[in-house]
Amino acid sequence: MSRQAFALNQLTAVAWLRLLFVAALAAAVALTPGFLSAPSLLTLLTTVSFVGCVAVGMTFITLSGNIMSFSLGATVAACAVTFVTVLNAAGVVAGIVAALAVGGLLSGVQGAIIGGLRANPIIVSIAALALIHGGLNFITGNATVNANPGAGHEILRGKLFGLPVEFLALLILVVVGQVILSRTTFGRHIYFVGSGVRAAEAVGLRVGRVVTGAYVCAGLFSAVAGVLLGLRYNQANMEYGIGYDYDAIAAILVGGTAIQGGHGSAIRTFAGVIFIATIQVLLLLHGFRQEWQYLIAGVIVLLVVMLQTAGRRRV
Amino acid sequence: MVAQLLSVSALTKSFGAVQALRGVSLDLGKGEIRAICGENGAGKSTLVKLLMGLYAPDSGTVSIDGAAVRIEGPQHAHRLGLALVAQELSLAPHLSVLDNIWLGSEDVPLFHRRGDLRRRAAEALEKLDAGFDLDEPVSRLKVGQRQLVEIARLLTRDSRILILDEPTATLSDVEIARLFSVLRSLRAEGRSVIYITHRLGEVFEICDSVTVLRNGEHISTNPVSAITRDALIGDMLGRSFAEIYPPKRPAEHEGVLTVDGLHIPGTVERLSFTAPRGKITALAGQIGSGATEVARAIAGLVHDATGTLSLGGRPVPLGSAHASRRAGIMFVSEDRAVDGLFHRNVLENLVASDVGRYTQSGLLSFPRMRAGAEKRAELVGVDKSRLAANAFDLSGGNQQKVLFGRVSGASEPGVLVMNEPTRGVDIGARADIYALMRDFCRQGYALLMTSSDLEEVVGMADIVITLYRGQMIGRYEGAAIDIAAILSDITHPVSPSERAA
Repeated sequence: MSRQAFALNQLTAVAWLRLLFVAALAAAVALTPGFLSAPSLLTLLTTVSFVGCVAVGMTFITLSGNIMSFSLGATVAACAVTFVTVLNAAGVVAGIVAALAVGGLLSGVQGAIIGGLRANPIIVSIAALALIHGGLNFITGNATVNANPGAGHEILRGKLFGLPVEFLALLILVVVGQVILSRTTFGRHIYFVGSGVRAAEAVGLRVGRVVTGAYVCAGLFSAVAGVLLGLRYNQANMEYGIGYDYDAIAAILVGGTAIQGGHGSAIRTFAGVIFIATIQVLLLLHGFRQEWQYLIAGVIVLLVVMLQTAGRRRV
Repeated sequence: MVAQLLSVSALTKSFGAVQALRGVSLDLGKGEIRAICGENGAGKSTLVKLLMGLYAPDSGTVSIDGAAVRIEGPQHAHRLGLALVAQELSLAPHLSVLDNIWLGSEDVPLFHRRGDLRRRAAEALEKLDAGFDLDEPVSRLKVGQRQLVEIARLLTRDSRILILDEPTATLSDVEIARLFSVLRSLRAEGRSVIYITHRLGEVFEICDSVTVLRNGEHISTNPVSAITRDALIGDMLGRSFAEIYPPKRPAEHEGVLTVDGLHIPGTVERLSFTAPRGKITALAGQIGSGATEVARAIAGLVHDATGTLSLGGRPVPLGSAHASRRAGIMFVSEDRAVDGLFHRNVLENLVASDVGRYTQSGLLSFPRMRAGAEKRAELVGVDKSRLAANAFDLSGGNQQKVLFGRVSGASEPGVLVMNEPTRGVDIGARADIYALMRDFCRQGYALLMTSSDLEEVVGMADIVITLYRGQMIGRYEGAAIDIAAILSDITHPVSPSERAA
């Protein structure tokens, strides 16, 4: 009884701190001249979208109890290259389909190995990173692929309802991801596997399939990021997506999804993405140099994650 | 009177409302091997933990060589000459035998002469006739050899009183014989042994005297020459059956669960039995008998199990929990924290095995999930106001009810496989769970349970199958179920060939 009461107090303390954090951020935003102007907001929303798609995808992996993947950034690059190449040859629809297929396949194979053979997810994804990067280098010869003018993708550029298409795509992915996770049997199974893999097995869930499915989702969502990058920059190369894995897991953790799996959501990840991006833009507008931006953002992420785990710890 | 090495008097220890030990006294002479017997919950492990200084007694004294001592902790117990070989060995698998022997010893300063340690360790191993090398990593040793490493560790520390807790539970016959010869030579050196066991045969084979504990009380102490096996069993069981078991009303239903030639490598060989619908079949056996593994295999949770399994004539593939579940075989684990409950709320735990049933136009419907969970909660007596609580915050009894709730409400009755259905469940909730089990029977489920609590086996089962180290020893049904016969089967059976003769 007393321990429960204590946990409750602790939880409210953490909730208060969280509120304080968001309030401080809001105040900083309000007091920073230029933040709420259209150009900087739009830039923020666009840049956030690419990593955002990967982060929502990686949320599936984290929730399924497999921590994170180191190969989604490389998957983004592979999908971007695929998209631009197929776009030139067969048009925009074929390009998107091909990119999704490559993303789903690259990640799904890892999921089958991890879920079916119970291989360590970190090691498999690091191996996959090397393989994808090596394969891509082999195929492209480390060259940049340029989209042909008039290939038909220009109509997917620009703004809709005043929002950049990249951000709209992210919003759609967040909604789709959230619906899959919370309103489908498959999504519930991801939570069950993540919050007790042996219990999931004991009640007859096919753990291997569920984990594979989670990785396929992660690959598909990363493929969307690849397509968006190809659309935006009219070209694609191997350098795309580098560092996205780390930014994505930071967003997932800041959003409050548990690293050990089973607790969290796509919406939480979206909040995490916005939170981190806001801090980065704030630092930029206040004239901090790049290295200071990284340092301060890193410290803040660390603080938030510590706060999250403090709220959840159970003995 | 012989010189008493260890003397325990009027030792009492409570945990909350539970009295684990009620004024237990015993004296241990020099060079004596003393068996301590009793059922689960009799107070054996509490006594050991008090002697090793892991708990402090509420009252009572422990004296060594006639002097009263207050044992502060394991290190202090070691200095007093007390040493424990626990059921779970405490070795570092990747270190060598030598390093393991000296691990944690206060005799080893930061700067030490390794040659000296080596010599002393080698002496200890030689005394045990161990037959393996000091530099061998422990991970390459067999269980019995690892136990010898632990004993060698105690010898180098000059322990005078060795406590062995169920030492033979996981040993082969050859390893048991080796252990016994080691114990005899230790006795010849004047060391004393406290030997905790379930296996009555071993009491008569290796021990000089035997103390029986029951419900935390000292019941009897006798030289083994002065007590019979039946008297010992009588002392251990003693109490009358509590009224918590519902009346047995086995129902007649068509279709049985048939296990034929079940083989689990290293555990069970060619086991065959049937479990009819409408009845409770119990597999009775100790740790190492294979009973829990058989139950897990039927639930599809043992990947290398082979043999045939069928339900009502339809074959069920082994090794896939999903296939077992589809065939209607459901599993309630003995280890709720590991493969029972999800770290989620009670509601989701109740619907975890068939969450796909609660959909509306293709998407999961939370109101339907809630309604389904409420129905199940009601069925098994879980408070509906606790549906939003984390399942791990419930009491053991309520957690177990959640697991039973999860497997209830199936469209047609199947098989319910339970390991230790009331482990960690208080007495009140136990009665509820027993009533639930009978309820499942009435609906036409076939129930298969394992339990290390013989009273529970006799109180609940319509059919009892006794197992000893992977082999079926006997089968009892209805009025033929007799606790003494079962206890005798699972502790020291007559071999099947002798029985036939």
